[in-house]
Formats: sequence, C-alpha cells, structure tokens
Amino acid sequence: MLSQLKVGQFRCFEKFEARFEPGINLIVGPNAHGKTSLLEAACLLLRLQSPRTSRLGEIIRHNERGLLVDGHFKAAHLQFYYSPQRKKLALDSVEQRTASEYLKLGRVVWFSNQDVELVREGADVRRRFIDFVASQIDPSYRKALRDYEKCLRSRNLLLKAPVPRWREIQAFEEPLVTAGEQLIKSRHALITALRPLAQLAHANISGAREKLHLEYLPNAAAPLAEALAAARPEDTRLRMTTAGPHRDDLQLLLGPAPATLGSEGQQRTLVLSLRLSAARLLEAHHAEPPLLLLDDIFGELDLSRRAALLEQLPKNAQQIITTTRREWLPPELQAHVLDLESR
Amino acid sequence: MNRAEYPAPLRSLIAELKRLPGIGSRSAERIALWMVQSPDSHPESLARAIECVKREIQPCERCGFFSEANLCPLCLDTSRDPLLLCIVEQPTDILPLERSGAFRGFYHALGGKISPLDHVGPESLRIPALLQRLREHPPHEVILALGADVEGEATSHYLGDMLREFPLKVTRLAQGLPAGTGLEYADELTLSRALSGRTSLAAHP
Ligand SMILES: Nc1ncnc2c1ncn2[C@@H]1O[C@H](COP(=O)(O)OP(=O)(O)OP(=O)(O)O)[C@@H](O)[C@H]1O
Ligand SMILES: [Mg+2]
Ligand SMILES: [Zn+2]
Repeated sequence: MLSQLKVGQFRCFEKFEARFEPGINLIVGPNAHGKTSLLEAACLLLRLQSPRTSRLGEIIRHNERGLLVDGHFKAAHLQFYYSPQRKKLALDSVEQRTASEYLKLGRVVWFSNQDVELVREGADVRRRFIDFVASQIDPSYRKALRDYEKCLRSRNLLLKAPVPRWREIQAFEEPLVTAGEQLIKSRHALITALRPLAQLAHANISGAREKLHLEYLPNAAAPLAEALAAARPEDTRLRMTTAGPHRDDLQLLLGPAPATLGSEGQQRTLVLSLRLSAARLLEAHHAEPPLLLLDDIFGELDLSRRAALLEQLPKNAQQIITTTRREWLPPELQAHVLDLESR
Repeated sequence: MNRAEYPAPLRSLIAELKRLPGIGSRSAERIALWMVQSPDSHPESLARAIECVKREIQPCERCGFFSEANLCPLCLDTSRDPLLLCIVEQPTDILPLERSGAFRGFYHALGGKISPLDHVGPESLRIPALLQRLREHPPHEVILALGADVEGEATSHYLGDMLREFPLKVTRLAQGLPAGTGLEYADELTLSRALSGRTSLAAHP
C-alpha cells in the first residue's frame, strides 16, 4: 500500500506531500486544485508512466527543470526524478540502472471520467490500455514494446530514403519481428484472460441483457514476418510500415453490435467493466490487488451504478478516489479524506 | 561597478575543461582552481600527455584499436589464430573480450552500429575495410560480438547477410549479454560464457 507521496515541481504543485491509508482514500477539492495531478503522481511513482500523457515533459511544472515523485509503497522507498535531460530512479535510496526491479513493486489500475474514449476514440487509445495492463502482467512486455517501436521508427525512416536500401530495412525487420511477435502473443493472452472477467463485471454492474464481448484484432493475420513481406509493395509506395502490431485493435461489442452504437450509459458501464477486469486480473496474477486510482468517475454514474461499482472493486485493494463533491459518494462510506480546498 | 570575475586565462581554462565529456561548470571550475593553486598540479606534464596522446595514438589501420603504429600489437601477435575474426562495435569493446581470455583470434571494430535514428548508416562504419580483410586473409569463422539492443541486432543481421557470399562460418555471441547494452557493461564471466556458447547465425533466421 502507498503510505506517503511527495511531489516536487509536478504540474500545479511546487511541493506537496500527501499521506494515504489502507482502504479508501478520498481526495476532495474544487476544480483545478490538483486532484487528478496527485493521482497521476501516484501512477507515475509506481509505473514510471503517466496515464494521461506519453510526454512526461508536459507534467513538469511550467518553467521548472525537472519533476520529482517520492513515496513509500509497502516497505520500499521509491524515488523518480525526470527532466528532459536526465532520468533517475532509486529504490530504497539505491540508484537503479534499469527499471526492472523497481517496476516489480506495485501495480496500478486507473479509472477516469475520460474513459469512454476507449469506446469512442481510435485504436491507439485501446492499445495504450492494453499495453499498460500487459506490462504489469509480463515484465518483458515493456522492453518488447520499446524495441518494437524503435525498430518501427528505424524502418520507417529507412523507407523514406529517396532510394530505400532493402538490406538495411531487412536487417531491422529481424528484431522488429522478434519484438512484434512477442507483443502479439502477450496481447492475445491478455485479452483472452480479460474477456470473462470483463463479462462478469459487466453483468454485475448493469444487470444488462446484452453481453459484453472483447475481441483482439491483430493487424497482421499471418505470422508477422510473412505479413511484413507481403506488405512490402504497399510499404514502398507509402514509405512506411503498414502491417504489424502498431495497428492492432481491441474490438468492443455489446451483444452483436459495436459498442460505439451503445448509449452513453452503456458505454460508461462498458469501460468500467474493462478497468475492473484489469484490476481483477492483476489481483489474481500477483496474488495482491493493484492500487486503484479513480479519477472523478462518480459524477456521471447514477446512484445504483455508483453502489454497484464500489461493490465490484477488489475488497482489500487500496483506493484513491478524487471527487469535487463528497456527496457523490455514499455518506456511509468509510474513507480517509484529503481536502485540497484549503490549499 | 564591474562585476568581479576570474582573469581571462583562468576563464579560458574553465571553458576548455567544460568541453570535456562528463565535466560540468562546477567540476571545470574546481579543476582549474586546483591547477592554479596546488603545488602538485604539474601543468606541463599534463599538457605534454594531452599533446602526445593526440600525436602518437591513431586507430590501427587493420582492426581499429588504439595504436602507436600503423598496426597494433594485437594485429602483430603471431601467436593468435588467424582463422578466427571477431567483429565488435567499438574499439573499447576489444579489451573486455581480451580480459575474458576466451578468445584468441583477431578483431575488427566497426566504429559503431547501424542506427537510422542517429543518422548512422553502413557507409559510416568500417565495413569496406572488413570486406577487404576477408578477401585478403579469409578466416574460417567470423564471430559477431555486437550489442544486444535493436541496432546491434540489426547490424548483426546486416553483416550476416553481407557475409553470405564468403565461404566462412558466421556465428554470434550466445544470448546472455545484458539486454540493451553494449559489450562495455558485460562482465568477464558473462563474456566468456557468451563466447564459448556462440551460435551459428543461420540458426537465427
Ligand atoms: N505542467 C504544468 N505546470 C503548471 N500547472 C499545470 C501543469 N499542468 C497542469 N497544470 C495545472 O494544474 C492544475 C490542476 O490540474 P488537475 O487536473 O490536477 O486539477 P483537478 O483538481 O483534477 O481539476 P478537475 O476537478 O477540474 O478535474 C490546473 O489548473 C492545470 O492547469
Ligand atoms: Mg481532475
Ligand atoms: Zn590492430
């Protein structure tokens, strides 16, 4: 459990320190007081990644050089410093050359009022969700993803040359295929594992008649090496890599219909179920529930869904919940409250 | 009133030192002041050593290692096995392999790896010199000892493809090098294991 979180030069905070308790923690405060930012800091501390952006530079407080997150999770002391020039991470004050030990410590599931974008927006949003969960299940996923992206950028750059040099392009296809095949395999396994959990959560929250279905849609149907070879004429014409897991998608269906056709309420229930399934899977996989970060999600849920959601969250998971209004949560809810109003 | 600052010679020394890798303003200032103040600074001998290293050291024209003559002692060592050639990225990768004691052949440093994102293509590497060596003194086996990161991998495959036209065996270090790092970081035991367990490139299509 996360007991203490300190941030420095982090979004609107010059310096701030928060304490958390086991169980439910509420961060209450008006708009623009840094509620989401604190959740983001907790996520960054444990996963070295922001759920809001892939460019950490934009999290650094304006006109400052670098940000710091520092906290105690279980018995460990975690520290992460980031500036565009330098990254530094330490575990119990010992600087780490790689993130592998550091990332073994804690897992996170992020729920946000923006989550409907998982249904409505492009495939990249769904891939980001998959990647975020997969790297918490399989420690080698993160490296495969980075290797894949690097090979892809290299290959695309080589394809843009006035006369593409295929010996070089093919040389990068070897590590590209190795990393890409691993991504495809892990994604397939992940979605297979999430499917029943998401269906169960969905049935429990909505009591809905229609069944939720998740389907992995890998872009490369054949083995990746073959798909890549087959796409060469197209790649040469378009001067970029057209086949591969960078174009994968996760299909979301309600009954037989695409979830994009669902009502507002149906879509919100669906994404909640997705996040819940991730929490359940991480809990089962690591025999320990993940830290749950819930950003302002109670406002758009009706009373029965609020109660159902709280009921569905893994029981002994630590939760940090932000809200602008305390009264959006059941009054009987036992929670440690952090009030940002007075800040 | 003028703001006080160091006299010009001291400032220019600080400026020169700051250009050195790993030396920031603070360290540059500290070193410069030590030069001026310490009775042990011996600036002449330091200056001589710097001048000398630039004048006397050149890359060995065969393998690329640091050398005082056209050819380095490694390349002149007749007790080595001429049928084994080990290809590394940087000349600095040669010493760890030497220390591991597991390799007794000759070396060839490419001077880098193919890295489109850093604008390094094969033409900026010592590949023509390699091909010439292979034609003049064909070894039986070429060992690719490049880094395990994607650029190292790609460079291995590039060379493997290019060397297909030569009648020789191409092998590469067994897995076990720290992922994503060059040879520089590998310890001697890992290197020696990686060398003895090397695998044929054909086995990694
Ligand atoms: N890099 C940054 N530097 C300084 N301030 C920033 C930076 N990024 C965001 N902010 C500001 O931080 C403030 C807090 O943002 P945050 O999203 O955490 O608020 P919030 O309490 O969650 O608000 P809401 O209730 O509207 O969701 C905002 O005013 C935002 O403009
Ligand atoms: Mg917010
Ligand atoms: Zn030499």
